[in-house]
Amino acid sequence: MDKLAKQLRDDANSIDCQVSDELDMRIRASLEGVKLDVPARSRQRSRSPVFWWASSLTGVAAATALIVLVNLAPPEQTPAVTEPAPQALVIPTISWQAETAVLTSPLEQEFEDLQSDLKKAEEAVRQDIERLF
Amino acid sequence: MQRSSNVSNESALIEAARRGSAAAFTELVAAYREKLLRFLLTRSPSFADAEDALQDTLINAYRYLNSYDPRWRFSTWLYRIAINSASRARRPDTVELDELGDEESDPLRQCIADANRENLWLTARRLLSEEVYTAMWLRYVEDMSVKDISAVLERSVSWTKVNLMRGRKTLEGEFANTATEEKSKAYG
Repeated sequence: MDKLAKQLRDDANSIDCQVSDELDMRIRASLEGVKLDVPARSRQRSRSPVFWWASSLTGVAAATALIVLVNLAPPEQTPAVTEPAPQALVIPTISWQAETAVLTSPLEQEFEDLQSDLKKAEEAVRQDIERLF
Repeated sequence: MQRSSNVSNESALIEAARRGSAAAFTELVAAYREKLLRFLLTRSPSFADAEDALQDTLINAYRYLNSYDPRWRFSTWLYRIAINSASRARRPDTVELDELGDEESDPLRQCIADANRENLWLTARRLLSEEVYTAMWLRYVEDMSVKDISAVLERSVSWTKVNLMRGRKTLEGEFANTATEEKSKAYG
């Protein structure tokens, strides 16, 4: 045991406390009144083997009854299905040619305004940087 | 040999207590009561709170004894319950552990005899987090393995190892300082 471990143990042992008689009596009295908790697993009652046999037999009987019912039922009359006549496929042709966009005057104005905003923002950032450094 | 006979005796007492014998349970926990009280004292705002926490711990341990898994040491399970009881006793509006340090009402200080230097557990409480403090206590006072400590704290083994090492480093530094001060005092 190293020095620190020994010191820690010694210091813990120097903590002087004892369970008083009063506390001891209190604990004993409380324990007498405690009812042990039974875990959920063991709380479930174990079922008798008769239960398992009965449930297995019921299952087998139900399956047998279902099979018999299915086999006894008359075959269903399926209506004749007429196939639709084949139709000529008409695929619309799309013209992929597009004209180059021409900016009309309000759009040009918008574009210029945006460029101006960008320039102002750049200028503001530059000024901030100069002020800081 | 001694340990294996203790374990078999403990198992027999656990079985008897599980069948509803409060006397067997009292005998089972007799060896742990003082240790638990000392442990709880380091994390309670008053001596009365520590006593209440001990009572809670033992009652809950007895009530839920059927859920104890014998793969773990009984002490590991008991300390886990003790930590929970202490946390419940220390409501959010009451003082925190690190706020107890210099108060005269601190129960831990009251139970420590006057000494030339500060008790290392008071230092530990001042410097370490609650979980690391608990890990150190379980390791150095209760001799628990790292695996058991991680089970008590519900932490990974790696976390426990790393934090035990950190706690130790912190206390080593403080311990070395105190030793140097003592030496310089002794030599004037």
